[in-house]
Amino acid sequence: MKLAHVLSLLAGVGLLVGVVSFVSVEVKAAEKRLTAPKKADAPVAATADHTEAPYCTPQFKSVLQRVVNACGLVGEESRRGCQPVDVKQFATISDEDFNALFAPLEQRGAIILFDDAGDKLDDGAKKLIMEKWEDRRLARYFFIVSRASKSGAAGMNKALSHKRANSVNFWLADQSKDPDLDKKVGMLWLGEEFAQLPKDYCDKWTNSRPGKPCNADAINRSAFISWVDCRL
Amino acid sequence: MSSRSRLPGVLGVIAATMGLFFSAFSTHDYALHLDRQLHATNCSFVPGLTGPESGDNACKAAMYSSYSAIFRDKYWGGVPISLFAMGAYAFFLALAVYLLTAGNSASKRSWQAYGLASLTPIIASAVMFTISVTKLGQFCKLCVGLYVASGILAASGVWALVAAGGKRGAGAVGGSATDTIPDAGPPVPAGYPLHAYAMPEPARSPLGPSSLVPTGSWLAPLSLFPMLGVFAVAPALVYTSSLPDYRPMLLSCGKIVDLNEKTGALVKLKTLRPVQPALTFEDPLCPTCKAFHKRLQTEEIFDRLDLTVAIFPLDSECNPMLDRPFHPGSCQLAKAFLCGDKIGKAREILDWSYDNQDELRDAGKAGKEIIRAKIREKFPDVDACIDDKETKKRLDRVLQFAVTNKIPISTPQMFLGETRLCEEDTDLGLRYVMGQLAPQVFQP
Repeated sequence: MKLAHVLSLLAGVGLLVGVVSFVSVEVKAAEKRLTAPKKADAPVAATADHTEAPYCTPQFKSVLQRVVNACGLVGEESRRGCQPVDVKQFATISDEDFNALFAPLEQRGAIILFDDAGDKLDDGAKKLIMEKWEDRRLARYFFIVSRASKSGAAGMNKALSHKRANSVNFWLADQSKDPDLDKKVGMLWLGEEFAQLPKDYCDKWTNSRPGKPCNADAINRSAFISWVDCRL
Repeated sequence: MSSRSRLPGVLGVIAATMGLFFSAFSTHDYALHLDRQLHATNCSFVPGLTGPESGDNACKAAMYSSYSAIFRDKYWGGVPISLFAMGAYAFFLALAVYLLTAGNSASKRSWQAYGLASLTPIIASAVMFTISVTKLGQFCKLCVGLYVASGILAASGVWALVAAGGKRGAGAVGGSATDTIPDAGPPVPAGYPLHAYAMPEPARSPLGPSSLVPTGSWLAPLSLFPMLGVFAVAPALVYTSSLPDYRPMLLSCGKIVDLNEKTGALVKLKTLRPVQPALTFEDPLCPTCKAFHKRLQTEEIFDRLDLTVAIFPLDSECNPMLDRPFHPGSCQLAKAFLCGDKIGKAREILDWSYDNQDELRDAGKAGKEIIRAKIREKFPDVDACIDDKETKKRLDRVLQFAVTNKIPISTPQMFLGETRLCEEDTDLGLRYVMGQLAPQVFQP
């Protein structure tokens, strides 16, 4: 066999072996990386979640957490609402501080006003409730915090506060037809002894009776409603 | 005895080395991606001297295109065609070494066989060049390197053919039991070792110095082509036999929690022959979404999907999950898409967004009003709807759907039924994963 034949044969065999070895090494290296990826090779994207607004302070969240747990917003229980006594137990802060927790919701929320000793929603209330409900964005919880003024008997006011919260909730259920409503809406009904709203809430907050007289009693015959942009 | 021109051999060695070099880099880049991760790719005329480039480039586009590999539905990523090139150029390198070293002792048939065989890579290059022009619209530098290599190889082949033909080239090519030495001399008995046959008169080649060329037998061309085939196929065989088993990984990316969006916020796109329910999360200004969308179309998968789109703009203007706009302007397009759904133009708007993505991205960066003007110009009938409160609410509900299902804030994402396609399988592995999880998509 001539030198040229030998050389080319050697070159051919050598090149073929080299090429297939190269391929094999490359594929095996990829397999090794595949089965034992470096941590840096596997970045994890954030997961879509509910919004977390700056007002979600630890104090605010502790109130939120209590309502969420006690009012049946998590788990399979269908319990709804909290007794005022519960609030008394966990809200170990002053009335002013308690109200201040909700102050940042001024733009997001609204105050539904009721007649004296009444729990019926008027047209303005119904419209405002749905407006706020539909402006959910990416919030997880919808809060209804109802109140009663100090005029009248405490027991009656407590019951009235409860009825007002229910009025809002029933209207939402009726209009939204949302089967998961009880997993979204948390209710607090506060008796007259709890955190009365100061009169300036008449001006600062959107209410369901704009242009109508509003005083310290009127603003507390109410239900505060808002989506809450906090995660727990 | 004077020698033949060695230039065809020299050119052959240069071309084959070039081809081997570029195809090896291309194969390396492809194999790198077999770990299902993203990697920088080489895209240079001097790969190795310049580092690999991260981000988009023409080589990456070529690699991710459906033309870079075959058998994609059988093997994850398919079998890259660069493997065949690598094997073929290894063969041509060995053959060119033979021509170079054999000189006059190489038979005429060997030269002719080399000449003919060396034309095959340029045929492949011509096909790939046409695809680059007509389908990809850009040229990958590694591919250009291979085109040039195949061109030089073809030139050396033509030279070899002409040189082999000599004055009686046409007659000599006929080959028979009485093959003749060109120009003069007695007939050569069939089967006689040609290189050992006495050469009476040197023949003059039109291109090289005079040489006395043994004609040789047809065995050379007849054996060269199968050998070329063996060289070309061997790397692919080794590649496919070494590939890891990807099947267990295909289902490793979870399932959707609740496919049922009760308010009708998602958009159902019309496709020609839907056979596989699918849900995608897409951002009209996301380049990866565009590539994915186009890939589904070129792979002829798109029109077999019963497709629902959850429009998912990564723009903080309307998406509170983000603290800054990744794709400014995409909220406007997302709303236009939702509005388009009402008048049967959703698919048209999505296609338009992808087709004009570069321009729209620039417009989005320039300002909300600029991109809005572009939408208005193209789709005046959705303009009023974009600002409608209902449109915003619908988009919020789409985002809520993402939240309910704990969707990663990343696009594109695809669910086949309830099964989430891993992001790693939405490019090179797309055809394979569809073949595994939704084979009906490829059935006629």
